Amino acid sequence: IAMAVPERSTKERLLSVLDDLEVLSRELIEILALSRMQKLPQQGEDTQILELLVQRDTEFQELMKVAHQQGKAHQEMQLLEKEVEKRDSDIQQLQKQLKEAEHILATAVYQAKEKLKSIEKARKGSISSEEIIKYAHRISASNAVCAPLNWVPGDPRRPYPTDLEMRSGMLGHMNNLSTNGVNGHLPGDALAAGRLPDVLTPQYPWQSSDVSVGMLPPHHSNDFALEPPGHNKENEDDVEAMSTDSSSSSSDSD
Amino acid sequence: MAAVPTKQETEDEDYSLLPLVHDIIKCMDKDSQDVHQELNKLKNRIQEAREQIIAMPGIDKSPEEQQQQLRTLREQVRTKNQLLQKYKSLCMFDIPKA
Repeated sequence: IAMAVPERSTKERLLSVLDDLEVLSRELIEILALSRMQKLPQQGEDTQILELLVQRDTEFQELMKVAHQQGKAHQEMQLLEKEVEKRDSDIQQLQKQLKEAEHILATAVYQAKEKLKSIEKARKGSISSEEIIKYAHRISASNAVCAPLNWVPGDPRRPYPTDLEMRSGMLGHMNNLSTNGVNGHLPGDALAAGRLPDVLTPQYPWQSSDVSVGMLPPHHSNDFALEPPGHNKENEDDVEAMSTDSSSSSSDSD
Repeated sequence: MAAVPTKQETEDEDYSLLPLVHDIIKCMDKDSQDVHQELNKLKNRIQEAREQIIAMPGIDKSPEEQQQQLRTLREQVRTKNQLLQKYKSLCMFDIPKA
């Protein structure tokens, strides 16, 4: 007869007690049947088995009660497991949201830092508003939108940005690195601004021949553009001629 | 002959097999032909009980183990609830001190 070990599962114990019950009841019935057939009184043995049977039967009933309680506990555990699952998904959802928030905040902090950097940069290189206004006046006074009404070819006035400004800009600096020394002459706009002596007056195509060159119809300028690119100086002349052409055409249209 | 309930499996019922054994012995005493029927009843009853035990949920563990597991689960739910409650009650506009 198996002894109940506390660590064994209730199912194992129940089945084992049930097996005992089956064996004991069979044995009891067999002994009783035998004693009735042989008409022999069975002393003690049947009582002993009966006692064991009663004991096992009580144990079985107790275990069945325990099993039912465990069934109820099992139900509760299933509910709790569902609850845990639900809470887990809630926590995961929350974690996802926090991650998103973290990302948004990190971006915002980065942008704010960039802004602070640019503010600092602007503060370091601050320019007085007066200077800016002066510069704006200069730009607006240089016929950037349309040529002056009395402009004729040969007039050295140029719209903004003039060659000088282009050269002092980033692109101009880049160009200077590669073509420094090749450009021999100085821009005509510098002359127009009255900052250069007459000796340095550049030679333009229209100045070399006659005025009629500048009065050529606009499509004539295409000929310049279609020419294969030569060395730097020639290209520059092309640019000058084209800009002149466009200026003249715009003034013609007025 | 005493009427023996055939279905004793329902909850809060008596799971005792003794009444069946008693019926068999009574039949044997009376030399009744019902003894085979009573023996079959006991046999079936035991088989039914076996099947019922196998199908019972939650008895794969000892009660102590199960209770331990139940406590753990309750603790888990409590902890997770507390955690969520903590985050829910957080003031979103409070800047934590670095």
